[in-house]
Amino acid sequence: MSDDARRLKPVDVVIVGGGWAGSIMAKEMTEAGRSVVMLERGPDRSTASEGAYPASIDELEANFRYKLFQDLSKNTVTIRNNSQQTALPYRRMAAFLPGEGVGGAGLHWSGVHFRIPPDDLRMRSRVIEKYGARFIPEGMNLQDYGVTYEELEPFFDRAEKVFGTSGEPYMINGKVVGKGNVFSPSRSDHFPLPALKDVYTAHLFRKAAEEAGFHPYSLPAANASRQYVNPYGAQMGPCNFCGYCSGYACYMYSKASPNVNILPVLRQHPLFDLRAGCHVLKVELDADGRRATGVTYTDPDGKVVTQPAELVILTAFQFHNVRLMLLSGIGRPYDPVRNEGVVGRNFVYQNVTTSNVWLDRGIETNQYIGAGGGGVAFDDFNSENFDHGPLGFVGGSPVWVNQAGVRAIAAAHSGGPPGTPRWGSAWKAGMIDTYRHSLRIDAHGSNMAYRDVYLDLDPTWKDAYGQPLLRMTFDWKDNDIRMNRYVVDKIGDVAKAMGARRVNLTKREFGRPFDTRQYQTTHLGGGAVMGSDPGTSALNRYLQSWDVHNVFVIGANAFPQGTGYNPTGMVAALAYWAAHHIRTTYLAHPGPLAG
Amino acid sequence: MRGLAGIAACGTSLASRPARSHPPAPYVPRFFTPIEWAFLTAACDRLIPADENGPGACALDVPRFIDMQMDTPYAFGAQWYMQAPFVQGPDNLGYQLPHAPRDLYRRGIAGMNAHAATRHGRPFADLAPALQDDLLRGAENNRLVFGDIPSSVFFDQLLANVMEGAFSDPVHGGNTGLGGWTMLGFPGARADFMDWVDRYGAHYPLGSVSISGETA
Amino acid sequence: MRGVVKRTWRPLLAAVLAVAVMGAGPVRAQDDAQHDAVVARGAYMAVAADCAACHTASGGAPFAGGLAFNLPTGTLYAPNITPDRQTGIGQYSEAEFRRALRRGIRRDGATLYPAMPYPSYARLTDEDVHALYVYFMDGVKPVAHRVVQDGMSWPMSMRWPLAIWRTLYAPDPGDVRRDMDRRTFADPLVARGSYLVEGPGHCGACHTPRALTMQEKALTAADGPLYLSGGDAVDGWRPVSLRGENRTGLGRWNEHDIVRFLATGRMPLGAAFGGMTDAIGHGTQHMTDEDRLAIARYLKTLSPAATPVAQGWTYDPTATDALRAGNVSARGARSYVDRCAACHRTDGRGYPTTFPPLAGNPVVMDPRPDSLIRIVLEGNVLRATRQAPSAFVMPGFAAGMDDAAVADTVTFIRAAWGNDAPGVTTADVGRIRRTLSPEHPPASLPMN
Repeated sequence: MSDDARRLKPVDVVIVGGGWAGSIMAKEMTEAGRSVVMLERGPDRSTASEGAYPASIDELEANFRYKLFQDLSKNTVTIRNNSQQTALPYRRMAAFLPGEGVGGAGLHWSGVHFRIPPDDLRMRSRVIEKYGARFIPEGMNLQDYGVTYEELEPFFDRAEKVFGTSGEPYMINGKVVGKGNVFSPSRSDHFPLPALKDVYTAHLFRKAAEEAGFHPYSLPAANASRQYVNPYGAQMGPCNFCGYCSGYACYMYSKASPNVNILPVLRQHPLFDLRAGCHVLKVELDADGRRATGVTYTDPDGKVVTQPAELVILTAFQFHNVRLMLLSGIGRPYDPVRNEGVVGRNFVYQNVTTSNVWLDRGIETNQYIGAGGGGVAFDDFNSENFDHGPLGFVGGSPVWVNQAGVRAIAAAHSGGPPGTPRWGSAWKAGMIDTYRHSLRIDAHGSNMAYRDVYLDLDPTWKDAYGQPLLRMTFDWKDNDIRMNRYVVDKIGDVAKAMGARRVNLTKREFGRPFDTRQYQTTHLGGGAVMGSDPGTSALNRYLQSWDVHNVFVIGANAFPQGTGYNPTGMVAALAYWAAHHIRTTYLAHPGPLAG
Repeated sequence: MRGLAGIAACGTSLASRPARSHPPAPYVPRFFTPIEWAFLTAACDRLIPADENGPGACALDVPRFIDMQMDTPYAFGAQWYMQAPFVQGPDNLGYQLPHAPRDLYRRGIAGMNAHAATRHGRPFADLAPALQDDLLRGAENNRLVFGDIPSSVFFDQLLANVMEGAFSDPVHGGNTGLGGWTMLGFPGARADFMDWVDRYGAHYPLGSVSISGETA
Repeated sequence: MRGVVKRTWRPLLAAVLAVAVMGAGPVRAQDDAQHDAVVARGAYMAVAADCAACHTASGGAPFAGGLAFNLPTGTLYAPNITPDRQTGIGQYSEAEFRRALRRGIRRDGATLYPAMPYPSYARLTDEDVHALYVYFMDGVKPVAHRVVQDGMSWPMSMRWPLAIWRTLYAPDPGDVRRDMDRRTFADPLVARGSYLVEGPGHCGACHTPRALTMQEKALTAADGPLYLSGGDAVDGWRPVSLRGENRTGLGRWNEHDIVRFLATGRMPLGAAFGGMTDAIGHGTQHMTDEDRLAIARYLKTLSPAATPVAQGWTYDPTATDALRAGNVSARGARSYVDRCAACHRTDGRGYPTTFPPLAGNPVVMDPRPDSLIRIVLEGNVLRATRQAPSAFVMPGFAAGMDDAAVADTVTFIRAAWGNDAPGVTTADVGRIRRTLSPEHPPASLPMN
């Protein structure tokens, strides 16, 4: 198809995907004086239309008709639990909810904005140092990122300032300055905004977690605790805890999004050309496959066109980046039998379970009040903050109350305590009691990478453009289930300190497979990971393809394994990190940045 | 027959917002046939019955909501991946039928009424509530056989839409008088808690409001 | 100071140069550097005179005309003022151009509608008129675009009464010159400000009341306290007083506030709406900081117009306390809490520079509630400017609130937090609603 495609005028940089990573890269490349075309498969979007008040405050449209999410009718994935099964299409939104349209999922995310724990960046080395190489379970592809926290710190700082992140620091330049997360690494500067206020449930959780001997802190949130002007001059309003973050464009302009924080400036730049409704089919390579020459896409009229470019940056959602590499022949596809090849390798998820605590009926928990990124967490069982030696598992999990706002339909679906029917008068009573008097506590755990958990192209099902769907082979593994069960037990301690009337600890069950029908999280990762060994990573530590040097791939696809934190902060920092090296080195001397 | 009575008893017109000035006219379903409508209204009121905790699904015009939804792209499966082949697999790999919600209702309601007729000699709507509950539980647990769709798939579709109808914004045709939100204590489309976020333990006193401005 | 206007014209912002270069047509230059400087100065004066606000249609070519201008007497369409010889002003000599600008006489001798603010442009210096002429001839791209006939109904469609009007009410440029020479200013910035505001800026065209016969009741600060004391409806908006009234004018705005407002459309006490959006968008945001400061300092010399002077506004927390206690029994309080407070807060203080305060806001307390009602019905777009790239949108509530609900809400806003403006009726709202254009929300919403 590429041969027949109409060729457009060459540009310096083509960026595939108009979310956070794409917007950051486009901003950086235009600042470097390069002409940029950003291609976004979905429609153009803005707070003024998608976030109009009060019309956008519509749970049915936002969360149950997926107004701002990927159009699965055109493109989805297939899923199976193991390679003996036939993977089947993910036909209806459920377990994860990828975004679509300008701003990507960054328009309708929640806003939790973390830096990665330093130990997570060198997880393999750290585990071996602490517990020996034999501690790593058979079949686990534990790896390092190839980059250190110290190297990334300036870019975490940059991202927080662009996002207008609210938080409480613990340590700045080695000095303890605040009541932030005692496990968090030293920072070079304060958060740009103070932490959000605790909602009531987070307040209760903070007290109880302290009583239970843990170290609670305010979640770092890209929901502005007050009005803010970022380094680009873009303005944010303050978060008013409306409870409509996840699934919504923020009508207060207070949740960071590419649309609010970057695009107002970027759209004015004469070197920036945003093309919405453009679905990229493949990255074009030269004859020997060592250099990209541009991308081929279908435009909004359905015509196939080729956009030549000197530099191709993939910034689509995690699995779309991986799929585009597979479709384009960039990097060697992963072979799970031999554990060789890199594209599709180390596909990971996030290991989240939500427990419930019922308080006295005199206590109204007001779960509709919330901020997507706000809340209180403790990290005592995250990363390498605790001794895994006697526990025998790798990984960890922060525990938190992250009350993003529970809305009415969601409350109805959640129902009552375990054992309550799903309908009828008993359901009604249980559901109302639960909504009014309970709170939710998450164990937001890491998911390790395994040899037989991976991505490849599906042999049967195709997308609307005739290209094979991506196939996920995924299941929960004992290591991760044991980790979850250990940490969730700690939630029991907190619930007790809260004076819970009733507790439902939700744990992963051994032998219960990954269920695509229940929403878990959209924190998918890996599949085209970064690292220092081309034998185990698709990208070098600058997120540059080892094989095709003028292709950079930015996203959670680069995570060699899951972490306990939400991915966006890390993705944004990696984008600024890669952009820095492109600007300072690659543009002057195009070629591999790592040998 | 009971079906038409169901229309009269259950359906009301969409109130002209923000204040109603006319007595509501009966809602006439556009998608559901009278027999289907009779099933729907009867089933909705079993799934969310009126009781001491608040109104039932009919008072909230949940059947109207579902009928109105049947005219949206969602009901035609426009947002679902509907490419063949349709291969059945383990439940945890998700929905794998070639049917959009409209088909599921047509087939599911026919299946429910067929079971009602076989067992009790009458359509579902004409059964006593306890018998209706038995049939609904049978579908929920996939104990009924409908021929072309698993009964639990239909039940899940119905239950999901009933919940949506009772608790979505009234602009979509359900949650009449904001009754669903009021029973839950959900403030709705005001979406501002700046004054309340840190008033720990305080009762939030303001009633619900719709996107349309209708208040409760 | 003797000279009326200090020559504060400075090397121009790159931005203004860019405007000049973008519009550059065939340049008939002799001495190029000097000529370019004159073009650039003309471009800057075109900004200061806000020519584009009327003569550039939304989405149209610069200065090619066509913008509809709704006046109480009918709809005007601004003409094409590009140097196109057939449809624009390409055949104007400099003398004809000067006569049109200052006296309102077209090349063919007909009189211009006074929507063209020639009573103000009469004050333009020779040097600035020359620069404008050179700019429009050499710096603006000619565009062939024939503007439709003015849509005024008879007798306003006849131009001969306009000549009489002009003779009666438009100042003679010679007299203006003599007046200007007589006025003295201790502060050269104020002198510059008076020139910009009374002359090219023609602020009075909107902000000064007009007589029944449509002339502005005052053309300069020297004409007394009606000058800039708040204008009649322009395009459905009621321009506020720019004088020093505490409640309904700029009494509580300081110089810095005004400068910031002119640059960004937003400052802690208020945000731009209505016609001011274009005045900032085409005009003041492109001016130099020094000129914005000159305007601010000059405006701060204007004494309050109202007599007797109303008591100064002070914040009254009564309404806030009630709302925070969940008491929404006051008329309009419930709809305020349901529809407005998310952004403007129960304390009416808003989130300054993002969402403007209603407490103490002169627009809110204006005796004429038209603008406030209209904003509630229609919403508002606070546009991005060079210094403030983020736009903010207030949604309109025309579809979601009936006249009674709007009247209740506006009445609440006008009386809460120390505001002291009288309530409004359902009929007031109905009157404004009937004037609304069907094209709302605006066709081009900002993309952030």
